[in-house]
Amino acid sequence: MHSIKEIFKYILLLALVIFFFFPIYWLIITAFKVSSDWFDWPPVFIPTRFTIGNFLGTEGGFQGSLATAISSITPYLSNSIVVALVTALASMLIGSLTAYAISRFKIGGMFFASWIISIRMLPPIAAALPLYVMFSHLNLLNTKLSIILGHLVFTTPFSTWILITFFNDIPRELDEAAYVDGASMIRTFVSVILPLSAPGLAAVASLAFIQSWGEFLLALILTSSAESQTLPIYLGRFITGWRIAWGPLAAAGLVTMVPVMTFSLIMQRYLLRGLTFGAVKY
Amino acid sequence: MRRALLFAAIACVLVYSAMGTSLAAEKVTLNVWSSPDNADALHDLATQYTKQNPDVKIQVTPLSWEFLYPKILQDVATGTGAFDVTTWDVMTAGAVAKGMVDLQEFRKAHPEAADPDYDWNDYDKMIWKTWGVWNGVNIGLPFYPASMLFFYRKDYFEDPKIKVKFKAKYGRELTIPKTWEETIQIAEFFTRKYNSDSPTEYGIALMFPRTHTLFYMYPIFFAPYRRSAEGISKFGEVNPDYGDYFTHDGKPAFNTREGVKAINIMKKLMSYAPDPLGSDYGETLEYFSNGTVAMVPQWFGVWASFVASEKLKPIEKTVGVANMPGGHPVSGGWALGLNKASNHKIEAFKFMQFATNKNNDKYKFLKYGLTPARISTTKDPKVQNADARMDVFAEALAKASHRPRIPEEPKLEDVAVNVLSGILMGSIDPEEGLNRIAKEWIKILED
Amino acid sequence: MQTCYKASAWLMAIPLLVLFLGFTIYPFFYMIGISFTNCNLSAWEVPKWVGLKNYATIFDDLVAAGSVEFTILLVLIAVPLEMLLGLFVAFLIDDVVGESFWRSIVVLPMMIPPVVAGIAWKMLYNFQYGPVNYFLSFFGIHRISWLGDPVMARVGVIIADVWQWTPFVFLVLYSGLQSVPQDLIEAASVDGASRWHTIRYVHLPVIRPLVWVVLIIRLVDVLKLFDIVYMVTFGGPGSATHTISYYIYKVGLSFGWDIGYASALSVLLLIAVVLLTNVLIRVLNVRQLLGL
Repeated sequence: MHSIKEIFKYILLLALVIFFFFPIYWLIITAFKVSSDWFDWPPVFIPTRFTIGNFLGTEGGFQGSLATAISSITPYLSNSIVVALVTALASMLIGSLTAYAISRFKIGGMFFASWIISIRMLPPIAAALPLYVMFSHLNLLNTKLSIILGHLVFTTPFSTWILITFFNDIPRELDEAAYVDGASMIRTFVSVILPLSAPGLAAVASLAFIQSWGEFLLALILTSSAESQTLPIYLGRFITGWRIAWGPLAAAGLVTMVPVMTFSLIMQRYLLRGLTFGAVKY
Repeated sequence: MRRALLFAAIACVLVYSAMGTSLAAEKVTLNVWSSPDNADALHDLATQYTKQNPDVKIQVTPLSWEFLYPKILQDVATGTGAFDVTTWDVMTAGAVAKGMVDLQEFRKAHPEAADPDYDWNDYDKMIWKTWGVWNGVNIGLPFYPASMLFFYRKDYFEDPKIKVKFKAKYGRELTIPKTWEETIQIAEFFTRKYNSDSPTEYGIALMFPRTHTLFYMYPIFFAPYRRSAEGISKFGEVNPDYGDYFTHDGKPAFNTREGVKAINIMKKLMSYAPDPLGSDYGETLEYFSNGTVAMVPQWFGVWASFVASEKLKPIEKTVGVANMPGGHPVSGGWALGLNKASNHKIEAFKFMQFATNKNNDKYKFLKYGLTPARISTTKDPKVQNADARMDVFAEALAKASHRPRIPEEPKLEDVAVNVLSGILMGSIDPEEGLNRIAKEWIKILED
Repeated sequence: MQTCYKASAWLMAIPLLVLFLGFTIYPFFYMIGISFTNCNLSAWEVPKWVGLKNYATIFDDLVAAGSVEFTILLVLIAVPLEMLLGLFVAFLIDDVVGESFWRSIVVLPMMIPPVVAGIAWKMLYNFQYGPVNYFLSFFGIHRISWLGDPVMARVGVIIADVWQWTPFVFLVLYSGLQSVPQDLIEAASVDGASRWHTIRYVHLPVIRPLVWVVLIIRLVDVLKLFDIVYMVTFGGPGSATHTISYYIYKVGLSFGWDIGYASALSVLLLIAVVLLTNVLIRVLNVRQLLGL
């Protein structure tokens, strides 16, 4: 009786794991499938022939495949890297300054803190509409700066919030000792607080990086060419009225997914702390 | 360990992005936006052009229709100048015109940029007007002036055994359908659910998705009524700017008995098609290429994909091309336009002329299967004998129905597609739905 | 001395204040203002004041009603499913051998950019060649039109959302379960409590606050759903899978350019979000969390 229940439990678990893992598996194998395996019935679940042609733009051989080749993805890849990196660093910097002020001096009180939360809750589309109009007046549309600013609006509240919880864990006596020694506030902040909260800073930077990397709606609206578009937009533009070139699409999806997934797995515990406003400390 | 990994990653990234910026040389870079069907040809032409003119770099960016159109509109509205040259769809002429350079004015103002051998009179009048001009202004160079065609499996339609069975079942010869009623019968015959002997699983591939595709599929069913003698007397001649959806004086023509008939034919045909509401351009291509269906209404340029299909070899024996049942396919295709907000108009104009000159008009047809735009190309014997499409092309283009190309088009389209899709999936009554579209259209046009 | 420091503390907050005043507060009021005008980007005209007309239009707009309906369905179906499944998986994995292995597989979906998830589901749902319809054929179910049938398209979007966000619910609740004191569980089993009783009286009280937090975060996030719809169904068939965010995008920034009307829709969406946020602030116990 007991062992049947145990077996049943593992079967159930296996079924659930298949459900969560299968779409990813499918994406990965499709990226390496030869074109004759893309549309087969029954579908090819365990490919026996593999190719990297989907990445090079040589597989499929006609209509639009060169458009999905790696050589055309590089500008988007480098845009994604620049945007996500600058967003991460800037949101860490802005967030840490504010977080210190809130943690130590309670500026703004509950109002300020609630305001930060509500920005996190703001639907991007509601912000996108006025941002679009604003940026068009400022002549900032279709620049990397416009997406970076847009992403900062959504990542900085996170960063600030998490850093407050980190700074709160640092004993106050440490900065007070520094003040007694005659150090200025900025000096105390830089030489006492920051070194002690290095893991926190790394956490918020990676979180912002992950968020910025995958963000779609703002980037879709604010940018229009390879000078500023990021990887999600590169993928988004293939989705209708296009030959369903699954191999190259999956390959491009893989390029978009792998960096951020690796990052997320490494930063798993902080990811959670950020996503739940520190309700989960782990 | 983790920290080391992170630092390594960040270092790599910094080096990479630094390289990226330093590599950007000081050349003129033209941004060319392209619909997917033109992208390969444009990319090829761009590479050739850069070889001849090393100081001009051309970046061709393919964008799917639903992505490209809003982006052009966005640029036209704000004057950002994100592209220098773009392909614009013939039906979007009115909506994009505000943002496009008047090429004839430009040519006069910059004689140094004009190609002396271009031969501006080499365009057929109808093609020039439809794919090059809006409101008397030349806003584009015809690049891919297409119409839809009707592709069918020649090997099945000519197979004596299949012909005998068809005759036994329906009491008439299996012929290439001339009307939609005949198409329904043949589609049933080629659907395995209704005929276990059918060589294909479904009769016909149809694309009625929730995208602009549905907006061009409806006219191929409606135009035969709209353009019949009876229709002309009821609705008047077709105004090319308002297209077949409208009467000659710009009122909706489809919220009528004829409009309902057209949609009922579409609904009937859907039983013989694989997932018509969930399939778009790409899916129907695959259905036909993989031998899932016996017939498909598709664009002129899809030939290249059929040629490449393993299952359709040899293509001369397996694929036939005819004019659309009902006689009136829909016009479509693309022109090259020059952005008013571009900073490199001269270079862009030169490239546009290069991409559409006599030589390359022929080249893009022979290599990429895009419709010829020039008279000299259509008269070329090599072009005339190239493939089965050329036999019907002239007729199809001449009889093609049109979508509206007035500036209000984007809104009209979104309203229409939404309701048409609802009617086809059975949640809205046809008559009521068509009336609803008409009502909203009138409101949009009055604003 | 202290006030002097407090003043410089405000100085440190300046970058954030600028960012938020400039890019959230100003645009927010701008949007409220513009929602009373007929501002249209494609018209190239100076916007005119139209009063409450945009808000009145919403009530006649069938597509708006449909997108609200679908968004409510997501709230009523997708979110509870995610909560239940997440809770279930958390308990299941808490109780098996090889926890960390199972955990790291289950959390993968939430780490994928939604756009990439959209591509994966679009392939899986393909009518003719997709693996989902192949699986179903084992159960004698004939091919389902996942993208062409209004009901199934909605189901499809819900499944994709459940797939992507159940891992988040799971991860939060699972980490909560880790903090249940081991001696309490042992004490319960010594007392002869059944597994169900242990869960009910030992585990659940510990993770209850987390359940609330994750529930509200999911509720707010589901109101934003955009990427998956854009990638998988494009809002169709008809307007079956239009969400509010997607519809605002369509009206305001792609086919309509009707900024005035889109702003009016956004203002209503914002009101709903603000209400939910207030609940969250109460549930989170912000004062204690931040030590204010």
